[in-house]
Amino acid sequence: MNCKTEATTASQLLSPQNVRDLFDSVDAFLFDCDGVIWKGDKLIDGVPQTLEMLRSKGKKLMFVTNNSTKSRRQYAKKFHSLGIAVSEDEIFSSSFAAAMFLKVNDFPREKKVYVIGEDGILEELELAGFTGLGGTEDGKKTAQLKPDTLFEHDKSVGAVVVGLDQYINYYKLQYGTLCIRENPGCLFIATNRDAVGHMTELQEWPGAGCMVAAIRGSTQKEPIVVGKPSTFLMDFLLQKFHITTSKMCMVGDRLDTDILFGQSAGCRTLLVLSGVTTQSTLQDPSNHVCPEYYTSKVSDILEFLGP
Amino acid sequence: MLGRVYNVSVSATLFNSPNPPRFLCLLNNKGKNNFSYISNPLYDSLKTIRWNSNNNCRMEAASNFVTRASAQPLKNADQLIDSVETFIFDCDGVVWKGDKLIDGVPETLDMLRSKGKRLVFVTNNSTKSRRQYGKKFETLGLSVSEEEIFASSFAAAAYLKSINFPKDKKVYVIGEDGILKELELAGFQYLGGPEDGGKKIELKPGFFMEHDENVGAVVVGFDRSFNYYKIQYGTLCIRENPGCLFIATNRDAVTHLTDAQEWAGGGSMVGAISGSTQREPLVVGKPSTFMMDYLANKFGILKSQICMVGDRLDTDILFGQNGGCKTLLVLSGVTSLSMLQNPNNSIQPDFYTSKISDFLSLKAATV
Repeated sequence: MNCKTEATTASQLLSPQNVRDLFDSVDAFLFDCDGVIWKGDKLIDGVPQTLEMLRSKGKKLMFVTNNSTKSRRQYAKKFHSLGIAVSEDEIFSSSFAAAMFLKVNDFPREKKVYVIGEDGILEELELAGFTGLGGTEDGKKTAQLKPDTLFEHDKSVGAVVVGLDQYINYYKLQYGTLCIRENPGCLFIATNRDAVGHMTELQEWPGAGCMVAAIRGSTQKEPIVVGKPSTFLMDFLLQKFHITTSKMCMVGDRLDTDILFGQSAGCRTLLVLSGVTTQSTLQDPSNHVCPEYYTSKVSDILEFLGP
Repeated sequence: MLGRVYNVSVSATLFNSPNPPRFLCLLNNKGKNNFSYISNPLYDSLKTIRWNSNNNCRMEAASNFVTRASAQPLKNADQLIDSVETFIFDCDGVVWKGDKLIDGVPETLDMLRSKGKRLVFVTNNSTKSRRQYGKKFETLGLSVSEEEIFASSFAAAAYLKSINFPKDKKVYVIGEDGILKELELAGFQYLGGPEDGGKKIELKPGFFMEHDENVGAVVVGFDRSFNYYKIQYGTLCIRENPGCLFIATNRDAVTHLTDAQEWAGGGSMVGAISGSTQREPLVVGKPSTFMMDYLANKFGILKSQICMVGDRLDTDILFGQNGGCKTLLVLSGVTSLSMLQNPNNSIQPDFYTSKISDFLSLKAATV
């Protein structure tokens, strides 16, 4: 079974003939960011106009990204710098998800959180009232290996949050490993497990899936994943927007996160081929995640709807 | 495949041969390593079969075919010593801890040699080459020759040799000096290693990382200078160079770099590359039997004549069991008696004892 041959599960190519159907039956569009809105720091063609059109027609817009390097506030800034008006509370990043997970699970304020990741996670933790250690700063530290010298770690760390970290090093791997292995009840939380992503517009780069697997390798524990395809963030989206999921359309470039996320929650799904997934990957017999629709890029929605 | 019954009689030696029959390979569901769908009880305990590039299978963790009895405390050391011809020793936690020799080791090794036993040292630690390990033994006052030492750094190079890895292809190394030295000795061209630990990347517009298209294998091991540059380089080679091999020296979760505590081990670096490439590596270190097959071939020894002595259940003891050897767990390293006896532990060595110098103190009971 795959997305090409099975009549009932086949993915339809978006076209002027079927776009109106989708558009009219949906009240909100959820967009992934990397590979959908932008690639690295470069905006994908036609996106601002498409988003403007959707808003003008009364559609709600939300942005759900697994990239934990920025906070919601930092993402809002990125949108503005690219000429798109988006408010912070329309953005749901996995950095935000990690902080919210700790909040809804009553993580004690006297416990600390060790972060193998970038500033976005630390900022969201701080906003939620938690104490974060690690992050970008520990990227400069080295592990001293001397007989009779202990590598110290804070015994009050109650959770290790792991996300994309371009400053990953042995110090952080060791710190996170010790916390998880030695601090009783220490949580192992992953913002997401994407293998690779378009961190720059020219090529793919290792994603959080890499750092998470590194810690999994040294602790032999499975993480709690808060980003896509886990539907944890969906609860926050629904709380904010009071729309049933069947009236939402998830637009993303990745089958095993975006599309799976949308399907698990009962949303409509649209795959764009402007990011990590190609048509041949979609139609490969080994792929079992079939979006309802697929198209080359977001601006096709605008183009196909016409005047 | 579901529901098909295989009526085959399989003996233990089959899984020890370097060229297991094709049918074992055919069971490998493309991309999957689990055999849980096969109802034949013989295969219920098979965990993984790995492919090498010649499409020969290597058994990695075929655990027990019969339920093993609980490990017995070693009482009659002489009986064990007399029943085998070769002793394979792990190093960390068995011979030394960090840079400190464990008590009674020199005398024990001398005694075994005087009884005509062959001694071999097999370590998953890839930071040193065999030659560098030879020096470490010497510094600690032990007379061990290079030819008796098999580190996973050596195993990686030996593996590439065994598959006739082309000399015009390169090897990218995410690991330390030991691997580089062994590759050089084996005549292979390499890139990467500790030097790449100083390279930085900046994820900004217009930045593009090149990689050598001639890299035909990425070898990943324990690496204290692990960084994003190396992860990306290795990832690009594996994802984009056709047929590029992904080889792991070992997957130990933690290791005793200093005797005071555990340190994140090779399993961490290997996990990272597995995470970004979504591929499983070919593991050459314990518990894979590659090194066992290699030295059995080299020294012409029967595996039933070997006793594997180690401190770690999921590498050393499994390695010995996979190879069909006798196994002795020592409690002088990472494993405690309570860990061995924990109901969640399913790996039972034949014997256990506190440290190898017990060979000297435990004598046969007089009847």
